[in-house]
Amino acid sequence: MPKMNSIYTPKQAVITKIIEETPTIKTLVLKPEEEFSFSTGQFIELTYPGKGEAPFTPSSDPNKKEEFEVTIMKVGRITALFHQAKVGQILGLRGPLGKGYPLDSFVGKELLIVGGGVGLAPLRSLIYALFSRIEDFKKIIICYGAKTPQDIVYKYQIEEFKKPENVELRLTVDKADQNWQGNVGVVTTLLDNLPLNSSQAVSVVCGPPIMMKFTTWKLLESGFLEENIYLSMEKNMSCGLGKCGHCRLGRFYVCKDGPVFKYSEIKDIEDIWD
Amino acid sequence: MQFISYYNFRRFLERLSKDFLVYTPQFINERDYDYSLFKEGFIFNPYRLISSPRQFFTASSSLVVGYFDSKIPRREIKPFAIVGLKSCDLYSLKIQDYVFLEGDFVDEEYKKKRETSLIISSDCTSFKDVCFCLNLEIKPYPQEGFDFNLSDIDRGFLVEIGSEKAKRIWEDNKDLFEERKDLQARREEKRKKIIEDLEKHLSSLGLVPQEKLYQLVKNNHANPLWQDTALSCVECGACIMNCPTCHCFLLSDEERKGEYFRGRIWDGCQYKNFARVAGGANPLKLRAQRLRNRYIKKFEFFKERIDLYACTGCGRCIDSCIAKIDLREIFKALNA
Ligand SMILES: Cc1cc2nc3c(=O)[nH]c(=O)nc-3n(C[C@H](O)[C@H](O)[C@H](O)COP(=O)(O)OP(=O)(O)OC[C@H]3O[C@@H](n4cnc5c(N)ncnc54)[C@H](O)[C@@H]3O)c2cc1C
Ligand code: SF4
Ligand code: FES
Repeated sequence: MPKMNSIYTPKQAVITKIIEETPTIKTLVLKPEEEFSFSTGQFIELTYPGKGEAPFTPSSDPNKKEEFEVTIMKVGRITALFHQAKVGQILGLRGPLGKGYPLDSFVGKELLIVGGGVGLAPLRSLIYALFSRIEDFKKIIICYGAKTPQDIVYKYQIEEFKKPENVELRLTVDKADQNWQGNVGVVTTLLDNLPLNSSQAVSVVCGPPIMMKFTTWKLLESGFLEENIYLSMEKNMSCGLGKCGHCRLGRFYVCKDGPVFKYSEIKDIEDIWD
Repeated sequence: MQFISYYNFRRFLERLSKDFLVYTPQFINERDYDYSLFKEGFIFNPYRLISSPRQFFTASSSLVVGYFDSKIPRREIKPFAIVGLKSCDLYSLKIQDYVFLEGDFVDEEYKKKRETSLIISSDCTSFKDVCFCLNLEIKPYPQEGFDFNLSDIDRGFLVEIGSEKAKRIWEDNKDLFEERKDLQARREEKRKKIIEDLEKHLSSLGLVPQEKLYQLVKNNHANPLWQDTALSCVECGACIMNCPTCHCFLLSDEERKGEYFRGRIWDGCQYKNFARVAGGANPLKLRAQRLRNRYIKKFEFFKERIDLYACTGCGRCIDSCIAKIDLREIFKALNA
């Protein structure tokens, strides 16, 4: 029988561990059958065998080669299936797809990372990548917002994010509980009095569309340049290869030309936040 | 130039049938033709068929791959020969080729079909009311992109050989062809005539010149025309399913007897869920947005990416629209 390989064929990856992040978010640790590596910001298509595929961005350290992680929020049909999956189960993997964050162009700069909800997933991979060469960056400020303290992902790790001395971590929740001591309010409330030179700094934003919209506006207001705001655009995707037509955004395909875009590249396209 | 009589052309098709699945035009009603598997008779289609050639290269619903340890063998693709493509159809393959062959990811199935198939096109000897190829500067006779091209003359065809593959096939079947120097001038006359007739038809319609189409779409995203026109759309998707340059699809997975496979189904931007993402957000939730999207994709996106409009002027979308939405009229209104 001829080996059936095409650009649409998934490779196998076995689930080696499942981490419950929040009531609606799980991280799956996956071990691919074949060598697999990605640059931070690239995404994959993950197959639930016989049921379908969906795009996710690996949330783990891109320097780790044996295994990688995806952090999945349960929002619909396929994500619900991934949430039911068990350790040992085999999933399908296509990728890496798209373009990663342009890390080299961040060198020597002050970086602002803004995440909302499960949007911290690709940003965690970015944080790992930055931390592995931390002396290359002047300063990193990480701002993260979740709905409630319960909804914060990577709680077990979050202290690590502020270990390097040129890193500052700011957290907020929309709604506090009795144990929450920190900031309350949407993520944009963390963006006041940023100790950086906004006209030179780079910001990387990932989260729900509404959060990205208000964050972008706030950053522009604070003096960030349009070409220094990097956004992760979420679009309906099927192929991930620039063929199926689903993810068109203006003259781009998000899957092929993105998923990360500078605000300056896409600002004139209507309905970008819808 | 080579000539083949009607009689010999049928024999040629019979011989081709040994190596190819041969599809030829058949009447489906008094005005229209569609492809069917060649049996014996051959009918020449004066203009394009109902179906676009797209169906041969990315079947509307096809098995793409079995995966993991699927025992489902990869389908052997039997080479096919398609007879009856017109100039507009050949142009559409440029768009499909860009989508499926260019860039880092090549669709192997598509590639194999393009490489192994035989394309026998022909000059238009007439046109449909909806034809407006010339308006897009596509001539109604093929100039490139075929293996053989036929010009209907003198109870036979003047044959232009357009590829190495065709040349080899011709060499194996030389006995059916004859050299005719006298017919080339007749072909040019006929070609001139069809252009004149088509020009006359098109000028009576007062169409917008092709070089304006890009800007017209680009400058009119907010035009209320999209909304007004979309009101009559019944969302049947006929325009996208019949369009030769539409290429959108959806991968869909299935399990059968413990084996997994992935199929490809044609999809299109006129369907409501085309752009819907999890949580229900949908940048194309309104019919007006979806209608406009088709024009942006064909006249802006492709123009910007490969400097071609993804429109061939075949008029299939006009022919097939129940609501009588007419692309030519939309451009006239945008230009008004
Ligand atoms: C580049 C990129 C990276 C992403 N990274 C992450 C990440 O790291 N973590 C994360 O949690 N999320 C991520 N997402 C979002 C994630 O892909 C979606 O949440 C997921 O696709 C939702 O799938 P669902 O089936 O659960 O949702 P549903 O709401 O059921 O479906 C979502 C979409 O799939 C279509 N669809 C549903 N069922 C079918 C079907 N049977 N056939 C065909 N289409 C169907 C729907 O039309 C809809 O457009 C990312 C998205 C993109 C584009
Ligand atoms: S659009 Fe032009 S090339 Fe196509 S069938 Fe009509 S006349 Fe022929
Ligand atoms: S997901 Fe298919 S073109 Fe982008």
